[in-house]
Amino acid sequence: MIVCVAVVGHQNNPLYIESFTDADDALKLHHIVHCSLDVVDEQVNNPKKSGPTLNETFLGLLYPTENYKVYGYFTNTKVKFILVTTDLDVRDTDVRNFFRRFHAAYVDAVSNPFHVPGKKITSKTFEKG
Amino acid sequence: MEDYPEEMRSPPVSLVAVAGCPELHQAISAHLHSLQPPINTLALPDLSKISLLIAPNPKDDQSSNPDPVASSGSAGILKRDWLLKHRTKIPAVVAAFFSSDCVSGDPAQWLQLCSDLDNLKAVIRARNIILVLVVVHSHSKDDITEDRMLALRKRAEIDSKLGSIFAELANTYYRDEGRRIKTRIEKKSFSSIELHVRYCFKVAVYAEFRRDWVEAIRFYEDAYHTVREMIGTSTRLPAIQRLVEIKTVAEQVHFKISTLLLHGGKIVEAITWFRQHNASYRKLTGAPEAIFLHWEWMSRQFLVFAELLETSSAAIQSISSLIAGTTERSLTEWEFRPANYYQLAAHYLKEKRSSLEITVSISETLNESDSSADSVVPSVYVGQFARLIEQGDAFLMHPLTDDEYIHYAIAEGKRFQDSFEIIALLKRSYESFSNLEVQRMGALCGFQMAREYYVVGDFTNAKQLFDGVANLYRQEGWVTLLWEVLGYLRECSRKQDQMKNFIEYSLELAALPVLSDIGVQCSRIECGPAGPASIEQKELIHREVFGFIGGELGLTSVTTSTDLKVTGDNQLYLEIDLVSPLRVVLLASVAFHEQIIKPGSSTSITLSLLSHLPLTFEVDQLEVQFNQSACNFIVVNSQRALLDTANDDQWSHRVETAPSLSLSNRWLRLTYDIKPDQSGKLECISVIAKMGPHFTICCRAESPASMGDLPLWKFEDRVDAYPTKDPALAFTGQKATQVEEPDPQVDLNLGASGPAFVGESFVIPVTVASRGHAVHFGELKINLVDVRGDGLFSPRETEPISLDSHHVQLLGMSGPEGEDESNQGVDKIKKIQDSFGLVSVPFLNCGESWSCKLEIKWHRPKPVMLYVSLGYSPDSHDSTAQKVNIHKSLQIEGKTAILISHHFMLPFRQDPLLPSIIKPVPDSDQVATLPLNETSILIVSAKNCSDVPLHLISISVEAEDDNIRKSCSVQNSGDHLDPALLVPGEEFKRVFSVVPKTNVSRLNLGNACIRWRRDSGTEEQSGLAASLVLTKERIPHVNLELSPVVVSLECPPYAILGDPFTYYIKFHNQTQLLQELKLSLADAQSFVMSGSHDDTIYVLPKSEQILGYKLVPLASGMQQLPRFTVTSVRYSAAFQPSSGESTLFVFPSKPHFNTVDVEGKRIESLAAE
Repeated sequence: MIVCVAVVGHQNNPLYIESFTDADDALKLHHIVHCSLDVVDEQVNNPKKSGPTLNETFLGLLYPTENYKVYGYFTNTKVKFILVTTDLDVRDTDVRNFFRRFHAAYVDAVSNPFHVPGKKITSKTFEKG
Repeated sequence: MEDYPEEMRSPPVSLVAVAGCPELHQAISAHLHSLQPPINTLALPDLSKISLLIAPNPKDDQSSNPDPVASSGSAGILKRDWLLKHRTKIPAVVAAFFSSDCVSGDPAQWLQLCSDLDNLKAVIRARNIILVLVVVHSHSKDDITEDRMLALRKRAEIDSKLGSIFAELANTYYRDEGRRIKTRIEKKSFSSIELHVRYCFKVAVYAEFRRDWVEAIRFYEDAYHTVREMIGTSTRLPAIQRLVEIKTVAEQVHFKISTLLLHGGKIVEAITWFRQHNASYRKLTGAPEAIFLHWEWMSRQFLVFAELLETSSAAIQSISSLIAGTTERSLTEWEFRPANYYQLAAHYLKEKRSSLEITVSISETLNESDSSADSVVPSVYVGQFARLIEQGDAFLMHPLTDDEYIHYAIAEGKRFQDSFEIIALLKRSYESFSNLEVQRMGALCGFQMAREYYVVGDFTNAKQLFDGVANLYRQEGWVTLLWEVLGYLRECSRKQDQMKNFIEYSLELAALPVLSDIGVQCSRIECGPAGPASIEQKELIHREVFGFIGGELGLTSVTTSTDLKVTGDNQLYLEIDLVSPLRVVLLASVAFHEQIIKPGSSTSITLSLLSHLPLTFEVDQLEVQFNQSACNFIVVNSQRALLDTANDDQWSHRVETAPSLSLSNRWLRLTYDIKPDQSGKLECISVIAKMGPHFTICCRAESPASMGDLPLWKFEDRVDAYPTKDPALAFTGQKATQVEEPDPQVDLNLGASGPAFVGESFVIPVTVASRGHAVHFGELKINLVDVRGDGLFSPRETEPISLDSHHVQLLGMSGPEGEDESNQGVDKIKKIQDSFGLVSVPFLNCGESWSCKLEIKWHRPKPVMLYVSLGYSPDSHDSTAQKVNIHKSLQIEGKTAILISHHFMLPFRQDPLLPSIIKPVPDSDQVATLPLNETSILIVSAKNCSDVPLHLISISVEAEDDNIRKSCSVQNSGDHLDPALLVPGEEFKRVFSVVPKTNVSRLNLGNACIRWRRDSGTEEQSGLAASLVLTKERIPHVNLELSPVVVSLECPPYAILGDPFTYYIKFHNQTQLLQELKLSLADAQSFVMSGSHDDTIYVLPKSEQILGYKLVPLASGMQQLPRFTVTSVRYSAAFQPSSGESTLFVFPSKPHFNTVDVEGKRIESLAAE
């Protein structure tokens, strides 16, 4: 189950963060998302030599915490998508698909002519999608 | 990791025992220990002592007895001291040393020996220990040489051989033991699963003894899996203790496996293994009342693994290369970092603490007596505890019930201060992350650490850490996280009685951009002291902090338990600068409507204030401060006007009144007029808001044009309003404006007429005339600048340093007319340099004027820009006050006034033969050649090439030194002339006769000097000696040559038609040689000539030959005399006089001269010369 998704801007500021748990760990999830940016930074700054392709946006598993798995996605505009899930057995392809759809939703949201790039996303449709 | 016993942490070392011959033990044990792999030695002085070592437990131990009583077999999994026993007590090999004396000695000794051996065998057989008999030959009487040799070789031989033998035998022993137990495992000849684990463990340890790591790991893993299986099946002990035992054993086995893997460099495997270990046990929390034991255990797993990883990863250089090597991406880089594990260890320890607290509170409510906890000790088996009961002299282990055990565990748990442990763990993680520059994870660790400090009550440390973390969150705009941290910080300040900090943090909290209620639904277990991040909470904080500000509320001090209040004694003053996080609380933007204003005129200034606090609040008064304090003004809120009636006397500034000063998240715009008097920059520095009687916020003013976005709020999706109404002003407005200087009311005139001439000192009159301002502290700055920009200095390399290295030079300044320079006071500044001058101007009242003259001398023709600037202050009080400046500039051409030229001539009708002219040497043709001892004529001409008439005073040729003067006489042909007026373009010539006297080949005649001055018309008195200009031109060198033959013509100055006259040609031979000259004469039309046409004459040395021809003119007018050609045979040079020389005027009849007097005078003057 996906417990948290986040869109992080290129200054590492949160653009959109939403958690889907009833438990009182929203703050904890925020911490996890924030910490995962370290891994994103590291991966982006030191790309693996054996990495599949240069333009790979999907960063894969960022780091496993005790209860969660954190996946990352790095767009060309340096906007990062973070996904936190409690499922311990996730297939990469599923995550990839999710991110692709998420990316599309994000593009739709920021295509709003009234949206200022770099500001928080307040689109209702985005929340639904 | 340090909690584990030594035998667990280090790999086992083979053990052998040596008995007998104690004198050799030292050497043997040292040698065995230095072997690779080392062997530990048990040294027994006597054979009989070995039974003391091994005999004390001759019990039928489980290893020798395959089918023991079932109860004893399943009493536990591993015995606590088994490993230690095998490492320190039970040798693999016993070596009995006998000296040869004993063997070959008397029967009594022999018997003794046999019995010792029997005893020994009996002891060791039970354990299958291998026996080695060593007979030491030390005293062989038979063969001394052999004995010697033995004695010599003894050490080496015994050592080397024994060493390898020991190693081999020890290996054999461990292998056999291992194999023996292995067969038991394979045959499954064990009664319980505990024994299976135990056997596996033992086999692995024996393998470790043999350094067979692969087998060791295999059996450890086997043991581990078996232990895992026991969880569901074992029923031996009470449930809680059973789990504790299983976990403890699993922990030990896991530790062994991890150590072995990491020592083998298999980090990836080790981490994977740890992950499995973690995954399989994490859920095994056990009974709820013992759950804290589980968390403690988990925490220990992580801590130990982190330590192991840290020690081994020091040896492995790059983790990234390791990761790159792994093909599957199941492991992330973070799992290789020990910091990660430290952090998790801390996390579990925290879990343990919280569950322990719950358990303690439950047990306390049950109010059990804890009498039984003291006598509980660890039992024989790993992971088991028992009560020690004294029964007479003996102690009896009595198994515990679960309740008792929990009781004991709680008592134990209470003894430890988990918080410090947690802080220590987090600190290691934090430092490790910081070293790796992983700032966000580090921040999380720091945050958790600070929270622990906060819990413990160490607010200083907590605050420091929180501050660091808050900075990162501020920077990256993580509002929810910042909210949490600020909440803690606020509470820290509250607990430390820091009113100012408390209010600062409260204000920042209240102004955070929490718009939607993020996570408001969560129950408040995990929420920090700030409460949930919501608008209501913000408003609550806002109200609270304004309660403090207004002095209505007080901060209840922890230490003195009195209320700290913002009162008169306890004024509060906050400063908000450009980087302060409190900018969101109050932002002041100040814009001048004009960027340049005149002094004394007024301009508008717009003051815009913004606050992101959730509720609107009123400011009592605003004070606007400028760098010119005279401009400061105060805006008073009219609704609270009574507040400042009390202290209006202290304000000398302007007071404005505003209808309302309520600040909210919309710009409050106030526009006022301002009228600066001083010139220069006028900048708004700060806006000070006063709220309540004792609270002020000083906010740095910002220009709207360069105002940065507000931190945090800039990420919000909202429309930013402009600080000013006029959007253009919002983009360009500045908080500073330039106040111009007052207009100068003084004239500065540069009066210069016409171009300047090279060589003269050109005078430029400068006039300072006051029209409205009195001139105080006036200063005149003079600058000469080359128009073309190539500098006034000649390049050093082309011209040697000389006085006139300046092409144009400022010579000086003469004071106003009639004023002597000495009159000027000592304090008057007067500095004149070559191209720069500074002159002080005396005090001038309105209407007065002052003038001076600048003297500039040109050395080269060059246009020059003259800049003169006058700085003065119209005010007499203060010399440092703003000065008024006037600038004037003038371009002046420098021109050459007089052009000097010269040329040489020979006397009329006299021609010396100069061989060098006849045969010119290619180089020397440029230089004029003069005959030695003959008179030559030098004509110097001066041409006025300027636009103004010039007075020529004199023309002379001046030799440079006396030698030349002696060697050559230069004579003016005429007398001194009156100053001649040269109109532009006119040329004046002067004739000099030059007679070189000394025989030098090269003659320097000196300079042609022309003294002149400007024709200044009527103002003759101004052109004093100073204006007399000397222009010099150097006359180039001339060559001197002695002419061998001089030919001169002599004939009367005129002839009369029909009247005969004689025409002489003189040849003067100046050499010591006979000169042969050929002469040919051509007929002329107008003359009848007598004499030979062609002739050859011989002129004797140093003599003169004269040829005379009688001529009768036949026509009048200018007539050509018969032309002749002389050829010198010796010099093969021909000479023909020029046509001008051989022309004569013939009068038709004898002329009558009326002007006899004139002629006489002329003759006179000639005679005088």
